[in-house]
Amino acid sequence: MVPLPSPCVNPYGLAIGFGLVTASILAIASVGLTLQFGVTNYVNFAYGDFMTLGAYLAFEINAGGHLSIWLAMVLSALCMGVVGVAADRFLLSPFTRRFPNLFYVLIVTFGLSLILLNLIGAIWTPNFQQLPVATENPLHLGPFLLTPSQVAIFGTGVALMFGAHLLLTRTKLGKAMRAMSDNTSLATVCGIDTRLVTSVTWFITGALSGIAGSVLAIDLGTITPAVGETFLFVIFASVILGGIGKPYGAMLGALVIGLTTELSAVVINPAYKLDVAFGLLVVVLLLRPQGIVASAGKA
Amino acid sequence: MVTTVPADEVPGGQLAGAARPNQPAPADALHCVGLRKAFGGVQAVDGATFVVPAGSISALIGPNGAGKSTAVNVIAGAVSPDGGKVRLFGHDITGWPAHRVAGAGLVRTFQLSRELGRLTVLENLMVTPRGQLGESLWNVFFRPSAIRRQERQYLARALDILAVFGLYELRDHYAGQLSGGQKRLLELARAVMAEPRVLLLDEPMAGINPALVAQIAGHIEGLRASGVTVLMVEHNLNVVESVCERVIVMAEGRTLAVGTMAELRAHPEVVRAYLGGALSAGTAR
Amino acid sequence: MQVVYYAFTLVFFFFAYSVLNWGLNIQFGGAGILNFAYIAFVAVGAYVAGALTAGPPAPGSGQSYVLGAHLPFMIALLCGGLASCGLGLFAGFIAFRRLRSDYLAIVLISLSLVAYDFVTNYVPLFDGPDGLSGIPEPFSGAFNLNANSFIFVFDAFSAVVMVAMWAAMSRLTRSPLGRALRAVREDQDVAKALGKNVFRLQMTAMLVGSFYAGIGGGLIVFFSGAFNTSSWTTPETFVVFAAVIIGGLGNNAGAVLGSLLVPVIFVELPKFLPQLASQPALVPEIDNMLIGALLIAVLWFRPQGALPERKATFDDLMAGQARW
Repeated sequence: MVPLPSPCVNPYGLAIGFGLVTASILAIASVGLTLQFGVTNYVNFAYGDFMTLGAYLAFEINAGGHLSIWLAMVLSALCMGVVGVAADRFLLSPFTRRFPNLFYVLIVTFGLSLILLNLIGAIWTPNFQQLPVATENPLHLGPFLLTPSQVAIFGTGVALMFGAHLLLTRTKLGKAMRAMSDNTSLATVCGIDTRLVTSVTWFITGALSGIAGSVLAIDLGTITPAVGETFLFVIFASVILGGIGKPYGAMLGALVIGLTTELSAVVINPAYKLDVAFGLLVVVLLLRPQGIVASAGKA
Repeated sequence: MVTTVPADEVPGGQLAGAARPNQPAPADALHCVGLRKAFGGVQAVDGATFVVPAGSISALIGPNGAGKSTAVNVIAGAVSPDGGKVRLFGHDITGWPAHRVAGAGLVRTFQLSRELGRLTVLENLMVTPRGQLGESLWNVFFRPSAIRRQERQYLARALDILAVFGLYELRDHYAGQLSGGQKRLLELARAVMAEPRVLLLDEPMAGINPALVAQIAGHIEGLRASGVTVLMVEHNLNVVESVCERVIVMAEGRTLAVGTMAELRAHPEVVRAYLGGALSAGTAR
Repeated sequence: MQVVYYAFTLVFFFFAYSVLNWGLNIQFGGAGILNFAYIAFVAVGAYVAGALTAGPPAPGSGQSYVLGAHLPFMIALLCGGLASCGLGLFAGFIAFRRLRSDYLAIVLISLSLVAYDFVTNYVPLFDGPDGLSGIPEPFSGAFNLNANSFIFVFDAFSAVVMVAMWAAMSRLTRSPLGRALRAVREDQDVAKALGKNVFRLQMTAMLVGSFYAGIGGGLIVFFSGAFNTSSWTTPETFVVFAAVIIGGLGNNAGAVLGSLLVPVIFVELPKFLPQLASQPALVPEIDNMLIGALLIAVLWFRPQGALPERKATFDDLMAGQARW
């Protein structure tokens, strides 16, 4: 008897495929976080909840407004951009102006995180909800096995990374953001309207967090009010890996973490794959706290 | 006699001119050789070499961007150099972390007064002594009377120093509430409390009104009288001239020349480095 | 009788939260460590203390956890505190060496989230989301208590623990060590320039604070008889931060006041809020949002909290110093 040839499925190939999708989600999230850090010089601990809110808004628009989830995602991103600007204008900037010590605004973002988490739970119930994304058949793309949605997520990630690159290198705004990231007082002296740049940065971080949350939800298929927050440490890992405040570092960090976590799932119980990201973070911190991408920086 | 220091001086090598002000001797408090430090793409210090004899008051001067503050940070251990050596009374302290350098008796002040704002003036002094028994968790719970004895000694010393600096009345005020001049005095008082062997002052006279300048200069002289070696970075050349017997000039990250103010005024390279006129005017700005 | 029972439950949490607040107070108010993972340290204390008294998991009970033993509860309580110190040591080594304060907070909060994730998933460790239950009541052998009298006795015990730990913390904050920690909090560079080993000082604060967190966690697990993952989500850390800041950062009495103000608001308010007609289950969410808003308001209008940090005086040492 001639044995039937088994389908050629390489688990590592599959893992790399999933890794690229995770890396895309992470990249969108990480760049959003790190751009805002670069300009404002503090970390937004409510970022995970921004993502969650973005996901829920997209879900609402999609379910209630009967728009495609992708269009809903764009609208949600715009809303989240506004939320970001509002949070900065009415809460965060007043605190940074009044208290030069970072502790205050960090605790405020922590408080904002708590408020958002519970607000979302209050509006949409604390239970997990199934996203009405139609079940799809995975496509065979070379060694990868991805659903069309996952391919779209990857595409979104690449597009947004390219967009970020253009923003930072070709636009006046991007250059102003880079200047502020390097040295805020010097940037002011050069005539950059730091308050305007800060507001726009918050719009961008809000929008990116909204998109990141939405694609995360699409990838997971379900959302809970804590979905963004529990993902937060993975984002932190990729941001620190790449060097906090450096957008290209964040992209690199996202790629490394995304691939590592998915590849690790081949050898260990997949339930712990995200925890591997933390392990990687610990190693990086022990060896090179300023991150992989070297330059004089904020650390 | 002014000695011009070539940028590539080899430690222990002969200098052009007689062996003099910059030749290392065993009693030297501080000896820096070939210090190099770069930040990003900028070479802040590029081969600085100088000697500070024990018991002297020396000044480190130079135009902005000469690398003086970086040199101070390297010596004090706040940053580690890319190259070169720092010797404190003959001991190699290159690359030591800041707290270890302070522990060895080299105390520095900061360019912008950095008082511990939410501690009182007296507390600022009481926190200064090194190796306090009371800073060990074990001692806090198991040797309270030994700690009390030591605290009384520190307290007596601290109150004396506060009186000398005219800060006794303010001892229970939060340091953050002091005026600029008072903060500067506090910083100096704190440095005295630390019982340094070498005192590194980073622009002690910056932004201080003239009356206070004289007072601070007096305190510095008093320190030298008690055996402390002083090295100060300063832009106020009048003060440098009246207080410091020895001046080290830095420019573009290197040591340019060493001598007295009078000698340096006559030195063409030094005058040029200061963009002309500043030396005769008395202040570099 | 129900009301008395309830009142004494509140009294217990007042004692327990005081201990928790002191732990965070020495880390944050004392040394400036933004420990957003604080609740994970409480959890370690609770799990270890609980498991060490509960004995090995009974086969067939569906439970599984490590460290099953039948130690006397006071020893188990101490072990919980020490286990928490172990976590503090680990966290300190990763985070303190070269990091500034928000980096530190990021690493710590990540530690907390990962620990939560791991404990929830890896059931053999502490029974996953179900956690420990059926922890034997302390004093049950010695005093032959029923459910109600246990509360009184345990309250008395907790009061003793609280007073002892207050005395210890008070001595610490007034000592030169407390002073050195405050210097580190104010300006690390100056502290280093004064010869202070900042790493060692931060680690000391971290360990002491962790110990308090662990003891607090142990007290809670013995009082409640159970402990699972819902008890140590990130909002719980926030409650402790709120209590410490609102009560008065850096002030030990403030920590006690904060324990009164925040758990009272946290626990009490839901009982007396008019039930929102359509959504009675919303009350915990609104409650948490109120705490968040309250903390932000306090930070804006009165950042020093209800009882500000006390100015250090040296009056006791000054006696006998002849002065100008």
